[in-house]
Amino acid sequence: MASSGSSEAAMPSPATAIADVEAAEQLIHRWDPVASPSHDRMLFDGSDRADAELYLRAIDHLRQSLGPSSPAPASPSRSPSNTIQIAMARLEDEFRNLLLSRSAEPDLESLDLGSLSISSRSSDHDHDHDHDHDQNLSDAEDDPGGGSTRVASRSASSIREIDLVPPDAVQDLRSIAERMVAAGYARECAQAYSSARKSAVDTGLRHLGVERLSIGDVQRLEWEALEAKIRRWIRAARACVRVLFASERRLCDQVFGTPSSADAPFAETVKGAAIQLLSFPEAISIGRRSPEKLFKILDLHDALSDLLPDIAAIFRSGPAESIHTQAADILARLAEAARGTLSEFENAVLREASRIPVPGGTLHPLTRYVMNYISLISDYQPTLNELIVTTPSARFSGEETTDHPEINFPDLDNRTPLASHLVWIIVVLQHNLENKASLYKDAALSHLFLMNNLHYIVNKVKDSPELRGMIGDEYLRRLTGKYRQLATSYQRAAWVKILHCLRDEGIHVSGSFSSGVSKSTLRERFKAFNAAFDEAYRTQAAWFVPDPQLREELRISISERLLPAYRAFLGRFRHHIESGRHPEVYIKYSVEDLEMALMDFFEGCPPSVHGRKRSH
Amino acid sequence: MPATDYQGSSAAAPFASLGRSILSLRRDQTHPVDGSDSVSGHDRELDAFQRHVADLFNELSARDDLLSIAWTRCLLDSFLICLEEFRAVLFVRRCSGPRPAVDRLIADFFERAVKALDVCNAIRDGIEQVRQWGKLVEIAAIALGKDQKVLGEGQLRRAKKAVTDLTLTMLDEKDTGSSVFTHRNRSFGRAGHNSGKDHHYQGTGHSRSLSWSVSRSWSAARQLQAIGNNLNAPRGHEVLATNGLSVFVYTMNNVLLFVMWALVAMIPCHDRGLNVHFSIPRSFVWAAPISLLHERITEESKRKDKRNSSGLLKEITQIEKSGRHLLELLDVIQFPMVEEKEMGVRQEAEELAQVCDAIKQGLNPMERQVREVFHRIVRSRTDGLECSVMHS
Repeated sequence: MASSGSSEAAMPSPATAIADVEAAEQLIHRWDPVASPSHDRMLFDGSDRADAELYLRAIDHLRQSLGPSSPAPASPSRSPSNTIQIAMARLEDEFRNLLLSRSAEPDLESLDLGSLSISSRSSDHDHDHDHDHDQNLSDAEDDPGGGSTRVASRSASSIREIDLVPPDAVQDLRSIAERMVAAGYARECAQAYSSARKSAVDTGLRHLGVERLSIGDVQRLEWEALEAKIRRWIRAARACVRVLFASERRLCDQVFGTPSSADAPFAETVKGAAIQLLSFPEAISIGRRSPEKLFKILDLHDALSDLLPDIAAIFRSGPAESIHTQAADILARLAEAARGTLSEFENAVLREASRIPVPGGTLHPLTRYVMNYISLISDYQPTLNELIVTTPSARFSGEETTDHPEINFPDLDNRTPLASHLVWIIVVLQHNLENKASLYKDAALSHLFLMNNLHYIVNKVKDSPELRGMIGDEYLRRLTGKYRQLATSYQRAAWVKILHCLRDEGIHVSGSFSSGVSKSTLRERFKAFNAAFDEAYRTQAAWFVPDPQLREELRISISERLLPAYRAFLGRFRHHIESGRHPEVYIKYSVEDLEMALMDFFEGCPPSVHGRKRSH
Repeated sequence: MPATDYQGSSAAAPFASLGRSILSLRRDQTHPVDGSDSVSGHDRELDAFQRHVADLFNELSARDDLLSIAWTRCLLDSFLICLEEFRAVLFVRRCSGPRPAVDRLIADFFERAVKALDVCNAIRDGIEQVRQWGKLVEIAAIALGKDQKVLGEGQLRRAKKAVTDLTLTMLDEKDTGSSVFTHRNRSFGRAGHNSGKDHHYQGTGHSRSLSWSVSRSWSAARQLQAIGNNLNAPRGHEVLATNGLSVFVYTMNNVLLFVMWALVAMIPCHDRGLNVHFSIPRSFVWAAPISLLHERITEESKRKDKRNSSGLLKEITQIEKSGRHLLELLDVIQFPMVEEKEMGVRQEAEELAQVCDAIKQGLNPMERQVREVFHRIVRSRTDGLECSVMHS
């Protein structure tokens, strides 16, 4: 252990003082490579400490002797201040050599990086949601990895400092630094320190996969590639901040003794690396807003927000503080980017104007996309609640409302701004779907289409407790009522004509009790019914109601009206037909036939695939 | 706008007369284009903006500390002022006017502005580099400074070490083909003393790659080319079609290009290329001031002693010069020192001390300004984007 540089208690006599000084100078000159080039080993080489201690003590003696009562120097070139300089030059080299030869390269790969993440949602989204999120936006039925607990917890100490340099070497470094600073050579010391450590920090960054990308590079990348880089960055950043930078700070504090003297060398060592690390999220926050980016931007935001307290702690003073400021700025910009992206999404929903009707009146891709999107939004509720502070009505005053006066804005009181946005999105979606519904020439199909899509919306909301909480049961009821109403409208449009064939009026010729039935009318009726039903069968078998339950309900509802009517009609009038010629031409179907046929409705398959049973 | 302000033949760029006539046409028009009398209002605003730009750059020309840190700070301030005015104009005019043409114009500006962001980042790295040099200079300045009553061998050696390091670092910076880690001679003896002693070191020194936050393949020259790509004066019908906005944008584009070019010229960065041409029709009132500055700076860069400089910043060239002189002096000094030699040394040290001061005082604020430029460009872009989102 090298001794500290403080003065000894005993005051030596002038004679011994001079002798001490001369001895010290001799020692130092002996180690001066200029004067005696034969010495080419290092003082602090880890083995025998005796020489090193003597050397340090010699320096201490000399410095003491440079006080006011110092004797005159024997010769100018041998003056204590010169000798000090020689010693400092030597120490600088020793210092540098220690740092370079004794630095342990941190085994970052083996670090348990998972344990460095704090809030469960961050690690969730790292591991579970890597693929899910993106798939869900285009896929059919999958729900996002359900039940991710987005709890914003934060543990006290997530920082993990490691030994970058073994403790004995740290001691040596400390001893050297003390002497250099005391002799007025703090600058050289700091310089040597940071130039040696910088390369280590850079290597660490490389190993963690932190890339050097310009803003232009980031802009040119495809989104899929960027997503992967974001994931990687989040993992790397945690290790960088909580292990790498934290350890550097600790080493610096240990070597330079006090935080204030460590500030400058620390800043010099890590500033470049820190800036490089932060440049990536900065570039992402600057990029163009497009809806698919929202969730990854939020992931990035959350990760950085998580790291910010640690960044504040590590880059707390001196020139390094600007790093903390920059990180905070970037966080704010990411928040803005998230807000802007959500806006962009809302506009996209509003503007989506494809005019090709979906065949079969089934689910429109837009519906699926939007509902999946807002389900994901509800997953990110904690963060988004903090970020989204304005309601849509505040934003869409003026032009938008006059552009779309027919949009019925619901009452949005008592909701969080985020919830208002979600309701707004559904309203806009609904409006858009109504426009699309009007593209169908067949009114019944139009109703069916809208019914399908609204039903899907309602189901999606019901499936997610968070979403349901935000949308609210009242609005849900309204939507439910709407699609039930549409079911009724469909039935009216599609079946009134058919049922009309089975009505009583017009068949009886005379108002009298006796069986004055117009056989010709009856025959017409049966023929009309058959034709109409065939037509309905042909078209509506190809229509599709994706939801099995709804499909079944609809069929049941139809059969509840059709079958009794047909049965009654048959019961009342069949004998009239059967008594005539070719009854099978007119009575094509039994009630059971109709029942069977109905089972083919809304399957989305053309009817030629099915055989149809007939009974005569 | 009196285009007749210029003596000297307008190197008759084809647009010169066209620009003049269009702009004066708008003022003299008795039948306003859009039926309101705001036409002349637009004109005034455009004139004022262009005049302001011209004034700012004339002021920069008039200063006697061209290319110094203080001058650069003034340049950056001027840019920020122009940008703010431009933003204000955009805010108003953007939302009233024919969509496609206006959108294209604004998108064009922001494309270039985003490229400038990378330049800002590279410049920030370069500033850090200058800061490091300043620290080395400070050591020499202190070792040989006024506070030292006697210049002993110790101080000289100390100063020499610092200046040698400085020279090596600056060479490192310029050497485009060098490997990442420069094997630097450490202090074991004089600068020439070599080899055997160094086997303890793997490779130390200030590696170039460590200071850069853009990849090594990034090129300032290419970036500047991209910013200045296809920068053409707006034609008459464009000006009319966009209610003069195209002239605003053209002006701002040139300001952006010039400022970025000047920064690259002055501050060390990857692949500093200075081959950017400004061919601005003389009818624009700010064309002359900007072109003049461009010429002066280009002249500077061609001077013999500046040709291989890491950057044209006055403080950098001063460091290079004084450092070189000092090293020469120190190399031949014998003890005891002749008074003449001592005075020479002290003088160089004094020069270095002054540069050091300038750096310590001005570099931090300058870095903050560069950062501010970055922020403002980003801010105005997001504002611009939002506006487009709302109205497309």
